[in-house]
Amino acid sequence: MSNTAQTDTTRADIAVSLRNVCKMFYQKQPAQNPRDLFRPRRKAVAALDDVTFSVKRGEFIAYAGPNGAGKSTTIKLLGGMLAQNAGEVSVLGMSPLRDRIAIMRRLGVLFGNRTELWWDHPVSASYRWKRKVWDIPRGDFEEMESLVLDLLDIRPFYNTFARELSLGQRMRADLGMLLLHRPELILLDEPTLGLDVLAKRRMIGFLKELNARDGTTIIVTSHDMDDLEEMARRILLISHGKIAFDGDFSALRGELGLTRKAVVCFADGSRREIPYGDTKTVLRGIAELDGVSDVSFTQASLEEGLAALFERWKAESERTASEI
Amino acid sequence: MGDKVMYEISLRRFLGLYALYARMDLDFLVRDARLSLMAIAADGLSNAASVSGVFLLSQRFGGIGGMSRWDVLFMLGYVTCVTGLYQLFFSGNNTGHISRRIGRGQVDHMLVQPLPLPVQLATEGFIPFTGCQNLLFGIGIIVWALRGAGHSVGAAFAAGTAGYLFVSLAIIIGLSYLFSSLAFKRQVAFEEIASTVVDDLTGMLSNYPLSAMPPPVQWTLITVVPAGLLGWFPACALLGQAPLGLSALYPLAVAVVIWALAALAFKKGLKYYVKYGSNRYNAGGHRR
Repeated sequence: MSNTAQTDTTRADIAVSLRNVCKMFYQKQPAQNPRDLFRPRRKAVAALDDVTFSVKRGEFIAYAGPNGAGKSTTIKLLGGMLAQNAGEVSVLGMSPLRDRIAIMRRLGVLFGNRTELWWDHPVSASYRWKRKVWDIPRGDFEEMESLVLDLLDIRPFYNTFARELSLGQRMRADLGMLLLHRPELILLDEPTLGLDVLAKRRMIGFLKELNARDGTTIIVTSHDMDDLEEMARRILLISHGKIAFDGDFSALRGELGLTRKAVVCFADGSRREIPYGDTKTVLRGIAELDGVSDVSFTQASLEEGLAALFERWKAESERTASEI
Repeated sequence: MGDKVMYEISLRRFLGLYALYARMDLDFLVRDARLSLMAIAADGLSNAASVSGVFLLSQRFGGIGGMSRWDVLFMLGYVTCVTGLYQLFFSGNNTGHISRRIGRGQVDHMLVQPLPLPVQLATEGFIPFTGCQNLLFGIGIIVWALRGAGHSVGAAFAAGTAGYLFVSLAIIIGLSYLFSSLAFKRQVAFEEIASTVVDDLTGMLSNYPLSAMPPPVQWTLITVVPAGLLGWFPACALLGQAPLGLSALYPLAVAVVIWALAALAFKKGLKYYVKYGSNRYNAGGHRR
């Protein structure tokens, strides 16, 4: 399954570009003979295998895949925390490893399972710290501070110590801090991890607004497909280190064979499910039916389709491994 | 790593960062001043206890190994100042005990800041309010020893003492970073190596007046395990003559060598870190 989106863009329009990027990890294996005690055996695992894609400025990208597919590795490569084994990585036209400092002035990275807040200080102290370290002019800082405090509803716990915050409060405080220097590109690794429904809605709404209002480029990873579909317009699916799909969500539904259905209920209590592609055609068809009491339209869950797909990938990978 | 484009960090910006961490330290202190002051007092008492054993011995015997009791006291004051400077500039946020941050996979937090790593490491550990007591205590001991010995303190002597203190501090930091670089490769095994190096060198070995020891021990303790360069050697050089016929600049030469090795090892370790990554992330306060 491959539907790599071709983009005709100039270099200046590209926020992120990966070209033939490979990243290997080496996992230690249990010793099987005395020599292994001194030179432990290692199993090479390809976290990214010849990955190529680019993201235009202003795009909102969902980056999804099963556990261990290479999502966090990609985010770390883009953030300059890891070096690729081969290929080229470019962020805002620069190399994350060579131009780390210049990139970090324009980039924001957030990992859902870690915090940039100072643990033993109130959130407000972390925000002041950020202003000094990023050298943000006072006026700009105050404007952004006020904006994120209101939009993310941080004021009620702005003077609370980071270690005393709930997970949802901590994530919002982290996201707010991330935005203080007005990053042009935001990388979010599982930002909705562990959040309740309300906190999640707030986070998603804020990110969408940020993307629409300021044209901020956002790349977000998550396991929650509904969240991703609501936020992003384009989805990159990664599996075993390879990009398996690159396109929009409706194209993904088509690829997964997820059809839309009209559920027609009749006056005699019976019901009929009619799969359809074109809305006008199905509406005309329903209008011609006798005894219709109710009609509803359903969409097959993307999550279900993807679960089946991930299962298939897993089986294929295990089969390949056993053949080798 | 990642800092190939050189960024000029002005003195004003550097001082601004020191002021930032000083403010954060003050906030930490005043959050619960009673507990903080008790902790500071306990730290001071423990420091006094650590030097009092050697001092009492020298009092009892009128000196140790050719050093008068005032010389010994001066040396102890010097060692306390070295420990105090370390606490003042490098004990905050584990910038001196850097193997902890490496071993806990927390270098990522440094890589996302738009500052060169040396600037971050030089400023983040500054805790002038909760970490100044040892330095003040050490200065007090030095003044007491110099008065007792009837030494007149001129500008040259003060500058020499300051210079030696700077070199001794550089030796501790250099050794800490040199050995901490091992934590890049073996994160579990070497997470606490910096505490072993720093605490054993400053807390145990450096308090002994080596004049009483045979030359092989003296040589060992100024070369292989340079604890003698954190107290005994500088004290002897400042009070009269550098021991073992060595130049008074010998500690500086050692510091330069240790720093060169540490810089090389740390750079190599950092390359290893970004090549292989870390799966030991400790989320419970990322600068602890």
